[in-house]
Amino acid sequence: MNTRSLLNRLAVAAVAVGFVALLAAAIAAIYVAKRNAEYTYWVRHTYEVELRISELRILAEQVETARRGYMLKHDHAFYERAVSTNAALFPKLEQIAALTDDNPAEQARVEQLRTLISRQTELTNRSLETTRAGGVVVSIRMFRTDGSIETLTEIRRIARDMAEAERRLLEERNTLQSRTVQALVGVLVAAGVILIVTAAFSVVVIVRYTRDLSRSRDQLRRLNENLEDIVRERTADLARANDEIQRFAYIVSHDLRSPLVNIMGFTSELEAALPPLRDMIAAGEAASPPVATPAAHAAVEADLPEAIAFIRKSTQKMDRLINAILRLSREGRRILTPERLAMGAIVAGVADTLKHRADEIGAEITVEGELPSIVSDRLAMEQVFSNLIENALKYLKPGRPGRIVVRGHAEPGRLVYEIEDNGRGVDPKDHQRIFELFRRSGPQDQPGEGIGLAHVRALIYRLGGVIACDSALDRGAIFRLFLPPTLAGDQGSSL
Amino acid sequence: MIEDDEGHARLIEKNIRRAGIMNDLRHFLDGSSALEYLFEGDENGRLRGPALVLLDLNLPDMSGTEILAKIKAEPDLKRTPVVVLTTTDDKTEIQRCYDLGCNVYITKPVDYEAFSRAILQLGLFLSVIQVPDNGSHV
Repeated sequence: MNTRSLLNRLAVAAVAVGFVALLAAAIAAIYVAKRNAEYTYWVRHTYEVELRISELRILAEQVETARRGYMLKHDHAFYERAVSTNAALFPKLEQIAALTDDNPAEQARVEQLRTLISRQTELTNRSLETTRAGGVVVSIRMFRTDGSIETLTEIRRIARDMAEAERRLLEERNTLQSRTVQALVGVLVAAGVILIVTAAFSVVVIVRYTRDLSRSRDQLRRLNENLEDIVRERTADLARANDEIQRFAYIVSHDLRSPLVNIMGFTSELEAALPPLRDMIAAGEAASPPVATPAAHAAVEADLPEAIAFIRKSTQKMDRLINAILRLSREGRRILTPERLAMGAIVAGVADTLKHRADEIGAEITVEGELPSIVSDRLAMEQVFSNLIENALKYLKPGRPGRIVVRGHAEPGRLVYEIEDNGRGVDPKDHQRIFELFRRSGPQDQPGEGIGLAHVRALIYRLGGVIACDSALDRGAIFRLFLPPTLAGDQGSSL
Repeated sequence: MIEDDEGHARLIEKNIRRAGIMNDLRHFLDGSSALEYLFEGDENGRLRGPALVLLDLNLPDMSGTEILAKIKAEPDLKRTPVVVLTTTDDKTEIQRCYDLGCNVYITKPVDYEAFSRAILQLGLFLSVIQVPDNGSHV
């Protein structure tokens, strides 16, 4: 159990780590992509700067070429070219200045270039004007001495320096970029490794978990099957025990009856033998001197008839008890046939048969409200209600007009019927006892063997319900029946 | 008469005699000795067919219905009337006895008056019914 919870926690942690790694990789990728875009911009920038610089150089060369061409050939086309090209020099320089305004070193060079180019422009203009005025020789001499060659060389050098500086910058950026890419690769590889490990771990955990799950499901199913077996076995045991009790009751009642037949029979034989004896004693008494003693007279006239009467009374009671047991055992074997019963009609029928008794003692039987209908055995239900209402009539409180009320309602999964009376009630300590065979409660002033309620309870049990008594002495009694709305089919216990 | 309870047997006999039936009466306490007697045959090899069999169903060694079935399955005995006298008043048991060919079924009442009346009536009944002649002592 402990290792399993630890494992679960580890699995959750692993998944969390996996997600963090994924997130880190994503962030790193975004960062690098951004850096890459920046780098690309700078590369383009560098190339542009380089391009502009070389354009500037070319322009400068072109100016110089045009100038020299004009001085040598004195062709006006060269003059035009030199002037127009020269005019393009400064805008180009301004472009470069704008491109490199973030770089102080380059700005410094741009300043140098600006000075040099303005000087060169001035020199070029002077030589061009001189040449135009016809002083070709003067201008060539001037050209050799005015330092324009040096200025041009300087311009070339600075332009080269600028290009070189840009190239160095590019190289630096290149190194930085490749380092970033390496970092990204590192992060990606690390995230990948973490992901693979996490995935492997998760798979292991899931496989183990699934295996555990299926194992416990199998176990559950096995237990379930076992449980069904156990229930079936217990039910069979119960049915067997019940059968045994039924058979026992049947055999007992039969085998008890046999000796009873003898006792009754021979008691009668004894009784039949009395009259001749009585005659003999009478004759003996009448004779003189009397031959019969008073003791013989008492024996024949009083003791023997008394003994016989007691034997007979006892055997009759025993016969009734045995018959009661037999009836109960038969009731247990009767096959119940469930059908839909309108309980209102059944109770009304029972009340009708008892109406005579009720009128005699001034009691009233009423049905309160609608009784819920039930699917059950008709005869059993009739016997239950008949017994309970009869009992209520039997044990009314003398001097109090009897009121017996039957009511019922449905509850989830069961029906409840109540038979309430305002009779003498049952002492709470006897609430269980009254349902036992041959047991009675309260003053024994009514005929009966203590069978009715035992019979009712046996019937209710067979119908799948329970019965409870709610009563106190002198407070009347409520007998509550809790029954299933539908009686399951019953084959009756076979004997 | 096949009856395991001697008291019952005595009471039955007394009442039969009181009803005026003076035939021979043989009493067996268990089923096997009764069957042995019934199926033994006399010196001519013929089975002794009694005029009437009084049978109790609860016997120590076998069920009375078994004896009834055996009697009714034997051609020489099957016409002999069988009166079942027992304590059982179970309907299915009674039904079964009649199905097996029992002629009269009497429940022994505990009330002796009823009992002796029943036997007396049986005696009267026996005195008027025609018992098939099996050529044996009646």
